[in-house]
Amino acid sequence: MIELIGVSKTYGGTVKAVDNIDLTIPDGEIFGFLGPNGAGKTTTIKMITGILNADSGTIKVNGIDIKTGPIEAKRQIGFVPDSPNMFLRLKGIEYLRFMADVYDVSPKDRAQVIDDLVKNFGMEDVLNDRIQSYSHGMRQKIVLIGSLLHDPSVWILDEPMTGLDPRSSFFLKEMMRKRADSGKTVFFSTHVLDVAEKICDKVAIINKGRILFCGTLDEMRNSSKKDETLEKLFLELTENE
Amino acid sequence: MSNKTLLLTRTLIRNGEGFGIKGMKNKVSKVLFALMLMIILPGLVVMFSFFVNSAYSALTAIGQEGVVISWGIAIASTVIFLFGIFYIAASFYFSRDVEVLLYLPLKPRQIVGAKFLTAALFEYLITAAVFLPVVIIYGIRSAAGILFYIYSCVVFVFIPVVPLCLAAVLVMVLMRFTNASKQKDTFSIIAGTLALILGLGINLTVQKFIINMNPQELEALIMKGENTLALLTSGIFPTARWAVSALLDTVTTAGFLNLMLYAAVSAAVYILLLFLGEMVYLKGVVGLSETVSKRNKQNKTEARDKFLKKHSALRTYTMLELKLLFRTPIYFLNCVIVNFIWPVLLLIYMVMGTEGADIQGTVKQLMNNPDIAGTIFLFGIALFTFVAGFNGTVSTSISREGQELFIKKYIPVSYRTQILAKVLSGFILSIAGAVFTLIAATAVFKLPLYISMLILAAGWMGMLFISFVEILLDLYNPKLDWDSEQKAVKQNLNVVYSMIISSIVGGLTIYAALQFSPGFIAAVLSSILVYGVLNVLVYLLLRKKGVERFGRLEG
Repeated sequence: MIELIGVSKTYGGTVKAVDNIDLTIPDGEIFGFLGPNGAGKTTTIKMITGILNADSGTIKVNGIDIKTGPIEAKRQIGFVPDSPNMFLRLKGIEYLRFMADVYDVSPKDRAQVIDDLVKNFGMEDVLNDRIQSYSHGMRQKIVLIGSLLHDPSVWILDEPMTGLDPRSSFFLKEMMRKRADSGKTVFFSTHVLDVAEKICDKVAIINKGRILFCGTLDEMRNSSKKDETLEKLFLELTENE
Repeated sequence: MSNKTLLLTRTLIRNGEGFGIKGMKNKVSKVLFALMLMIILPGLVVMFSFFVNSAYSALTAIGQEGVVISWGIAIASTVIFLFGIFYIAASFYFSRDVEVLLYLPLKPRQIVGAKFLTAALFEYLITAAVFLPVVIIYGIRSAAGILFYIYSCVVFVFIPVVPLCLAAVLVMVLMRFTNASKQKDTFSIIAGTLALILGLGINLTVQKFIINMNPQELEALIMKGENTLALLTSGIFPTARWAVSALLDTVTTAGFLNLMLYAAVSAAVYILLLFLGEMVYLKGVVGLSETVSKRNKQNKTEARDKFLKKHSALRTYTMLELKLLFRTPIYFLNCVIVNFIWPVLLLIYMVMGTEGADIQGTVKQLMNNPDIAGTIFLFGIALFTFVAGFNGTVSTSISREGQELFIKKYIPVSYRTQILAKVLSGFILSIAGAVFTLIAATAVFKLPLYISMLILAAGWMGMLFISFVEILLDLYNPKLDWDSEQKAVKQNLNVVYSMIISSIVGGLTIYAALQFSPGFIAAVLSSILVYGVLNVLVYLLLRKKGVERFGRLEG
């Protein structure tokens, strides 16, 4: 579970990227985080994962405050950043080894990852190549695998579908569902409203640093009293701002 | 020459190719570049002019003053050729604009022609720096007529053509028939290391020349070597011979014919290059962006076994830093190789330099005097601090993260461990460099083995101290906003600051050695005490302030 209470973040003393938001992301659900460009999605995710420090408010991951117990809180999280262009000069397997060591993954669990995740993503033949030589989708896959090595109870993904082929995209959605069904937290941001509409149990819409809506899609439709697609509801909500 | 070639040349130059000034976004780099042009280049030209002038005097004594012209053309051609290899490889193959050019309706020879002309523009700077002093000094001292200067202008225009064409041919053939174009990193590392070694070699040779410059020796050299340099040039660049003959004989028709021959052959070589470009350029450059992967299935089980082994976060993080240092060409040259170049350079200068000519003898003498062993020991420690301070590894370790710093913020590894891993990776490289220096010093100065071992046993503390200071510097003043790795290390003032600090610390150690001339035991104990206390203090500072600072960094 992730809890944000009164969280704010200002850049350069003037630009308020996130403005006093409260958000609870429960276990056992796929939670979509939607918003236009520059709405504060990535800033919020960066604060939850410990990349940025919040100016005020509290962020708890499974009850652990990211400020007072950063290492323990980070251990709960598996994180997929929006750009997979990292560690390009490492081989795929070296990247996974690095992640496995820093997340303290046991040899037994590592073996399962190789036999299970790597195979399902079709990456077993390229693990010995440098990430530099991977396509965008392959880079995305290696980062996804790296984020699940320690079987995290909270999985946070920033725009995870970008660049994935249909098969991997399908597999990723399946995995998100499986993890949520097993009682884990799945929190992801996206621009693709169709995807959100299909797989999310709950969504939050953020714009100009403030949460405009948080709840199920049905609740959203009820509140606007129109039976419209998520896309139309989203546009209405963010336009009125 | 087609209009499209010229159009493309103009566009490339406007786009910042050639001198690369447009690519420099910040003011500091522009200022540094301007300073280099205004101070360093003229400085080199003045030094070279002195050299040419005294060589002219010496050569007149044996009636061979014309050799300076051969030298001028030879040096210019060689330098152009060497620079040309890197420049052509970068511009023809590794430049970002190549892919854009490929889908435009341009013939390969037009791309090759335009890129060649852009490269030539840069090479005229080198030609001017080397050839003009020779022309002016020879012209004035031999009271040459106006024809000499006119001929010189023609020669000037054509000097870069043949060497640059040769470099281009070499690179194009290499890229066409090997997979060098797809191994950009490997190519850059090998080429960069070779350039460093060549640069060092040229530097030392010139030093040696200037130190040994007196007419008798020069005469002996020329008689014995039969003008090796000039011969070498005419061997590699045969057309240079006609240029020399033309300049030395401006009054007869033969001189004029030689000049024409030189110009015609140079132009012909350029046209040949265009033909070769038409044939091989595209085949070498197409698919540059294709991914290279060996799809190495044999190592799969081995890799799997390695993956299954668990290591501590500190170890795996340190290994990651080292891997990236070794695999990124710019980091490899500036952080790794430099560890091994500096010590060697230092030693060679000490042994070869005019003032240092007697150092070897002096050290040997000193070593026989047991009272001086303490001083020698402290000199060794000072050397260690220099080695640590003069490589940019730790002082750029935060900066090198650049936009990827965020990764280090979300992994569950304490900032203290991360800082230690960064210090450790630099420290390992420094120690390797220091051991290398120590082995060289032991061989050159015939240092007793026990002193070398003791320097190593105590010297690491100086090294560690410098490394701690360096990471503090980079934590407080990181350069994270860069778009090319070059900027993270080469345009990073922390490297300069750490050089200054290590010079001060090493200098103070040397000062203490000379001022107090401590006995051996006293030197060992006091250095352990002083550096031990310093290390503890700066480590405590790092643990508190450094860790806090890392936490506040937001990439």
